[in-house]
Amino acid sequence: MKKLIAGAILLGASSMAFAQPGCGVGAMIWKGQSGVAPHVLAATTNGTFGNQTFGMTTGTLGCQTNQAVQSMAMYMDSNIDKVARDMSRGSGENLDTLAVLLGVEEADRDSFRQILQDNFATIFPNSETTSGEAVDAIVALLEKDEALSRYVAA
Amino acid sequence: MRTTLQYGLALIWLASGTDTLATPLPDTGQLHEHPDWLTLIHYQPNRYTEGYTSQADDSDFFLSEAGKHSPEAELQATLAAITAPGEGDSHARCRFPARDQWLREQLDLPHSDLQCPEYDDWKATLNTETVTLVFAASYLNSPSSMFGHTFIRLDPPQDDDEADLLLANTISYAADAAAHDSEILFAYKGIFGGYPGITSIKPYYEMVRLYSDIEHRDLWEYQLNLTQDEVDVMLAHAWELRDINFDYYFFDENCAYRLLALIDVARPGADLLAEVSTHAIPSDTVRWVVDKELVEEVKYRPSAATTVTYSLDNLPAAHQTLAAAVANGYVAVDADEVRRLPARERAHLLDATYDYVRYQSEADAWPREHAAPLSHELLRTRSQIDGVAAPEKPPQPDVRDDQGHDTLRFSVAGGRMGDRNFSQLTLRPAYHDVLDPPAGYRGGAQLQFLRLDARYYTDNDELQMEQIVGVEIRSLSPRNQFFSPLSWQVGFGGRRTDIETDRVFTPYLEGGAGGSWMLGASVQAFALATADLEIDDDLSKGYDAAPGADLGLLHQNNRFSLLAGVKTKAWIVGNQHRQDQLYTKAGWHFGRDFSLFGEFTREDHYDRYRTTWQLGLHAYF
Repeated sequence: MKKLIAGAILLGASSMAFAQPGCGVGAMIWKGQSGVAPHVLAATTNGTFGNQTFGMTTGTLGCQTNQAVQSMAMYMDSNIDKVARDMSRGSGENLDTLAVLLGVEEADRDSFRQILQDNFATIFPNSETTSGEAVDAIVALLEKDEALSRYVAA
Repeated sequence: MRTTLQYGLALIWLASGTDTLATPLPDTGQLHEHPDWLTLIHYQPNRYTEGYTSQADDSDFFLSEAGKHSPEAELQATLAAITAPGEGDSHARCRFPARDQWLREQLDLPHSDLQCPEYDDWKATLNTETVTLVFAASYLNSPSSMFGHTFIRLDPPQDDDEADLLLANTISYAADAAAHDSEILFAYKGIFGGYPGITSIKPYYEMVRLYSDIEHRDLWEYQLNLTQDEVDVMLAHAWELRDINFDYYFFDENCAYRLLALIDVARPGADLLAEVSTHAIPSDTVRWVVDKELVEEVKYRPSAATTVTYSLDNLPAAHQTLAAAVANGYVAVDADEVRRLPARERAHLLDATYDYVRYQSEADAWPREHAAPLSHELLRTRSQIDGVAAPEKPPQPDVRDDQGHDTLRFSVAGGRMGDRNFSQLTLRPAYHDVLDPPAGYRGGAQLQFLRLDARYYTDNDELQMEQIVGVEIRSLSPRNQFFSPLSWQVGFGGRRTDIETDRVFTPYLEGGAGGSWMLGASVQAFALATADLEIDDDLSKGYDAAPGADLGLLHQNNRFSLLAGVKTKAWIVGNQHRQDQLYTKAGWHFGRDFSLFGEFTREDHYDRYRTTWQLGLHAYF
């Protein structure tokens, strides 16, 4: 099942240049959406402009071998601000999605949410944090937790 | 159904006569005229001649060279191809699984197992149990998005805790515009053809990001009541349509149209495409899907803009001021005023302020140097408050977009201009004006296409075209301490205009921009600077232009709408003169099907006063 989810995301991202999931610096938080302001006419005629893809960057930092973590990294890459927002509140659908991608079982979800909220400042130390750094910090945090470490084991 | 009988007979003959696969291809009788077959190959009857043409504009979609125009040739070729020996992804059975399945059922051919690794993988990856039609409503301050947009979401089974709708995949159909084309060219080609249309699959979270976060459009999710078999047929057909080009046309063969075709394939007999006449407005197509009882459940996903407006509105007034001050950097996030609030109120303040800063960064391009450190500070501070849930989501509106009035409007009216009586007929194919019943539409937004006003004057039995509105867009978006949108309007067409001695029909172009402010719960005041251009050889210099102003009040509720104000224009090119007007227009709404309307204007033009009024009835279809 986890494999399928990773596959589903890959399928969606297949049109984008993306070397190795979970293996990159990732998008910087609050980088803005320059160039994707609504095109009035495009919206009217329901078209898409080829250049309206979302910024994805790849590098060579923190390669992950755990497939679930790779899926999470991909999701974080395009939703980092919403994940950060939900994390600060300790709830929200983007946090639930992270839990699903990591395969966190229902029984562990409360502590998963709590640990992420409590450690917000560790995961996002400043406003230049990238999704890759945030993923690494999340993995490091979960590894230290007795109940949650199994979800990020390599 | 004579044809049904014929292929029925053919089937009986087949069932009794074909015992082995070695038999030559079965007689297919009139099967190629079966509605399901016509739907599967996207055939439409030719408008002027006998026969059919497929809407697919791609030779890869046809197995017969004559397939584009011949349902029969395509059916024979398909039958030959799917019964031909061979296997693997390139076999016709793997390329066209929906046709394969249908033909095998109709002709009672054996369903021998076939491995199609690519297709099987694709299907397993999509892991679809139900299908949801998603409608992106129009967005704030952009009436041009009023038509909406639709796409399909493929929902995984919801019975395990690994299901997540943000990760579900979506199918959409859109014009594949070249990146370098300008918006003007895009609009032209979009309307008159010239762009290929492509089907694309993307995860739902990307669609949410695009429509809900960036374009500020609320999403309505209509879960369809398709059975698992119907869902499988839809997927099989979506597989057949991969990379197949259907030329894109804005008015009819658009995003919504192709999705209707997909639903038609899944649910035989739904025949949604039969509802399309001249144009397929996405919000109308949603109505048809609802009317055909294809919808199981409807859910609402408010956009980032709707959410932030709601959370700000929910703050007490003093906190609203504080939120604006924090967002603009006048008050620090850790200032005393913020810190001394109780945890719950502080959390709500920080949440609303954060959402507002994000909104402004995307919508109003706040610089990152200001917005990013502030966003970080807001979230870091918020993360220290435990046990306060995220702010409540905005409630679902009472009236959905598809429950608003229908978009085709026909009106009859009687009135008097000066000392002449007239009756007036108006036909407006689309879409909405601010005096129509507002439920299901954005307040203050107006978009009209191709409105024709014809007048018959009783004194001399004269029939006159009073006005033809090509396009008219108006957006009155209220400003407040958080948001400062521009109110604007633009329009062109032909209208009757006064030249001192006569009223002549002249082409016009008009526009305006300004602001609007709420005065109480449902009344807004607006002030616009306007510009008018008229071009006609009856005008003394061949054209005339007028800067001007339009000041007014607008009230909209489900029973009654009122627009009143003053307009002034200074014509500056030909015979220089002023044109001043006092106007009141009102609509009384009876459900979503009818409105009584009244209009009164008093005008001072060429040093003479003239009163015009009319009363009538709008009916919406």
